[in-house]
Amino acid sequence: MPYNKPLPKINSDNRPFWEGCREHELRFQQCKECDHVRWPPSIICPQCHSFEINWLISKGLGRVYTFAVYHTAFHPGFADDLPYTTAVVKLDEGPHLLTNIVDCQPDKIKCDMPVEVIWEDVDEMVTLPKFRPSSSV
Amino acid sequence: MQMLMTFSGDDAVFGHFGATGGYALAARRAMYEFGTGPETWKKIAMGQRKWANLNPDAMMYDKPMTAADYDNANWVVEPLRLPDNCLITDGGRAIIITSLERARDLKQSPAVIMGIGHHNPSTVIAQSEWMAGPTGAKKAGEIAFSMAGITPADVDACEIYDCFTYTVEITLQDYGFFKPGEGRDWFNGGTIEPGGRMPVNTSGGQLSEAYFMGLTPIAEGAMQIMGRCGKRQLGPETQTRSPEIILCSDNGGILQSHSSILLRRL
Repeated sequence: MPYNKPLPKINSDNRPFWEGCREHELRFQQCKECDHVRWPPSIICPQCHSFEINWLISKGLGRVYTFAVYHTAFHPGFADDLPYTTAVVKLDEGPHLLTNIVDCQPDKIKCDMPVEVIWEDVDEMVTLPKFRPSSSV
Repeated sequence: MQMLMTFSGDDAVFGHFGATGGYALAARRAMYEFGTGPETWKKIAMGQRKWANLNPDAMMYDKPMTAADYDNANWVVEPLRLPDNCLITDGGRAIIITSLERARDLKQSPAVIMGIGHHNPSTVIAQSEWMAGPTGAKKAGEIAFSMAGITPADVDACEIYDCFTYTVEITLQDYGFFKPGEGRDWFNGGTIEPGGRMPVNTSGGQLSEAYFMGLTPIAEGAMQIMGRCGKRQLGPETQTRSPEIILCSDNGGILQSHSSILLRRL
């Protein structure tokens, strides 16, 4: 069955992130001046206004900051997934990433639960970073 | 669908959509941080419905809500059930603002603006570090109360922007009516209902009257001050205090912007 969910709109700001995902790496901009790790990508540091960046590769570990369980498909592409879980994961490096929690019953998910990245290869261009309960716990 | 996609941006890739999805994230974090949840929100949904049942203009006028109705309602985006969500309404509502000098000559005795405050934390919900408050309501409320020279103890009733039940709780909490998590007790015993000590959303609000954005609360606040609310009129009609001062709120995005306005009798 063809993939019928929305795809990310790749632009000059977020291209390095999505290219990283294809290689199964979570890449975030880190400010060269103040070390702030930022998300979403942008040309300027929201903390110190510097334009200078390095790309940091996240270890893909974090905790569930919050989550929501969808019982309604607002887009037909998600109808077969109900109930599915969206979450904000707070990565150990700092950024809050909106994503899905997979490989876990919705009623087993808790805030602050440790999670790790798992990759969903969608097509030649797009791989989605999703998260599952941390295997080290 | 176009609007939903624009609103959600790349978050739609993960199936994150619309206001319900965003407020569900905020409400879940609040459950974790200060122990709120559906037991608190049920009292808000049922309390407002009782006001709607006194309001012939309300979409839910002839539809009482029992605790079982709430408990058995479908999840939309958990932890929010259908009755935690506001209505969808075609219609309109307006208020007219003029100088006090002109208003004194009008046939209807006006509601007078005592204080106004705005605060816009503006952070997109997925990036927010304060999903469980304080929201913009804290600072906006402080500014409005300071301008009016009063405190929350002087307020007779509240008309709170209620896109979701949780919005009512976090707004009243940030205004200082109760401490984080104490809403569970504060809403007990019909506090916000007809006959209660702090009536809230006396038209039924956006949950049970009609969704006219910020106009639902402020128009009701003005109408109550003016004494034009029939069977739901605050005062002897509903065994509540006759309103001298009413606090109204508005809120935008997913807890990203907030306005407070205090109205008083002339």
